Amino acid sequence: METIFDLRDVSYTYIKRFDALKNVTLSFKAGEQTAILGANGSGKSTLLSILNALTYPTSGEFSAFGMPIKEEIFDTLEDNEYARFFRKKVGFLFQNPDIQLFSSTVFDEIAFGPLQLDLPPDEVQKRTEEVIAMLEIENLRTRAPHMLSGGEKKKVCIASILSTNPDVLLLDEPTGGLDPRSQIWLIEVLQDLAKAGKTIITATHDLDIVEQISTRAIVVGEDHTIHVDCDCASVLGNLDLLMAANLIHRHMHRHGKLLHEHLHAHSQEHDHEHGSSVVE
Amino acid sequence: MLFNYWISLYIIIVTPFGVQSPTSSCFLGTLGCRTGNPMIPDWMQKIEIGPCSCCTVSIGKKKGFVQKAISDLFTFLEECMVNDAIAQRKGLLQSLDPRVKVVSMILLIFAVAMTHDIRLLAIVYVLTLICAYLSKVEIGFFLKRVWVFIPIFSGIIMIPILFNVFTPGDALVTVATLGPNAHLGPFALPSVITITVQGTMVALTFVLRVATCVSSAVLLFLTTPRDLIFKSLRSLKVPKVYVLTMDMCYRYIFLFADTVRGFYTAKKSRSIKSLPLIEEQKWVGNRIGYTLVKALSMSEKVHQAMISRGFTGDIKILHRYSIHQRDYVACVSVFALSIFLILVSQNLVKI
Repeated sequence: METIFDLRDVSYTYIKRFDALKNVTLSFKAGEQTAILGANGSGKSTLLSILNALTYPTSGEFSAFGMPIKEEIFDTLEDNEYARFFRKKVGFLFQNPDIQLFSSTVFDEIAFGPLQLDLPPDEVQKRTEEVIAMLEIENLRTRAPHMLSGGEKKKVCIASILSTNPDVLLLDEPTGGLDPRSQIWLIEVLQDLAKAGKTIITATHDLDIVEQISTRAIVVGEDHTIHVDCDCASVLGNLDLLMAANLIHRHMHRHGKLLHEHLHAHSQEHDHEHGSSVVE
Repeated sequence: MLFNYWISLYIIIVTPFGVQSPTSSCFLGTLGCRTGNPMIPDWMQKIEIGPCSCCTVSIGKKKGFVQKAISDLFTFLEECMVNDAIAQRKGLLQSLDPRVKVVSMILLIFAVAMTHDIRLLAIVYVLTLICAYLSKVEIGFFLKRVWVFIPIFSGIIMIPILFNVFTPGDALVTVATLGPNAHLGPFALPSVITITVQGTMVALTFVLRVATCVSSAVLLFLTTPRDLIFKSLRSLKVPKVYVLTMDMCYRYIFLFADTVRGFYTAKKSRSIKSLPLIEEQKWVGNRIGYTLVKALSMSEKVHQAMISRGFTGDIKILHRYSIHQRDYVACVSVFALSIFLILVSQNLVKI
């Protein structure tokens, strides 16, 4: 498989004081589905931002599609063919939908990307309509973003990315704030996109979804370095690793007179069996 | 497979109350056992039941300035939501092309501003009311929206014109008798201050002119979705960057209004006693500053989101309008009416 992103000893420091990423060496191949796991503040979002060429490493080298990524290529007033190719190729789902939804209606939001591709108006209209139909959000098309629920906002965010048909999807906490039904819906959409050959890189600390949407897992520790990079099953089976990365914790609670303790992921509700001991 | 296999990792079990491991004692404390908990300080373990017997309940009608300002802000935003609902109704003006409405409104306001004949102004005003009715806008709501601004923008400034000091003429009502040689500083005043017929007509004409112009503008905003109004400004050659900026401003006003509401409700929920006015003012200043910082930070991220989806600084706006016969009819009608009003105002046509 072709390597699409290649990071060599990449570090990123905010305002020259706070480390967000330290000495990260990674590569991503086309068609892979990867989960980047880490606790809050570990640097997952910064890593995605670097992969989307929105933030540039303070040290190290990052190349995408065989070209080194430099600020001068993207942050310039001159029209740049490679930057256009990159933006077309890579879609980024932001963690906060209010950042991503900047147009005044859902339709305009979804049409924004195709318009940037300089497609003819008929094609923009057709694509937008098709994405709206695909995600079953016809009832939202004339609504303003501030009139949408959290789940609806997320759907529109995904639609706004898919309308440019990117081959690489970078997703920052895609299930954050979603109810169980919306989560299942999102997982199914991502599975379909994976089957279609899209590269999907998801930053999350929701361990429930990891195996469903990815085959590879990268754990970013609270020290902002990469702790592990291997298949999902191995990562999820390594309790010490997950504890060290603050992705699970020992949890005690009570059900009636039963008091028990088990390991617990930082995610939603969970099922578990109960021990037989009784609190007196 | 869901992550339920943590179940299988279910490890340590079951400690009865009283076991002194730090973790379990912490846990017991949260369940309500209020003795011997090393995590919770003593003062936090005290529970007060019911209000003190010395408590008095006072009911005040006066709101603080912060509460009043925030209530007004949200009333305004709720009205905006109502406006959006009106714009979706199937009425006369809603069925017209937004460009036709914008151009017609500007033309009509121009013509009305030149008209001095109070009868013509009254006719045009009644026409706006008929348009509101045919566009399924509640007349009471429409009148309230229009007339709430009239006393502020025109009524107050027209008050002096009523008097014979500024508009000499036939007396309608005598206000005061000053006697001969009355002066206000270097200015000589008439011996009797009256409201004149001529002054009243000038004031009424002015107020009616303003009311007609405001009615036209309010009708446009009530019957057109906000994004279409902004986009239709492109047909008047307003630069794209202004159209995009206005559009985004409108979108983010609601978001920041929610943030402001969050600040206020959070403060309210933790306010145990009312603060002096100066402290309230400091809090408002502090929150305004914080909102600005938050807005700046968000603007950077929004810009990144735009860049991420291919934005290069070249603004592209999709507007696909379809002009129907009714749009031509509306445009020609308003154009003819406006020309007629202008001709009459210039005495080129006598009525």
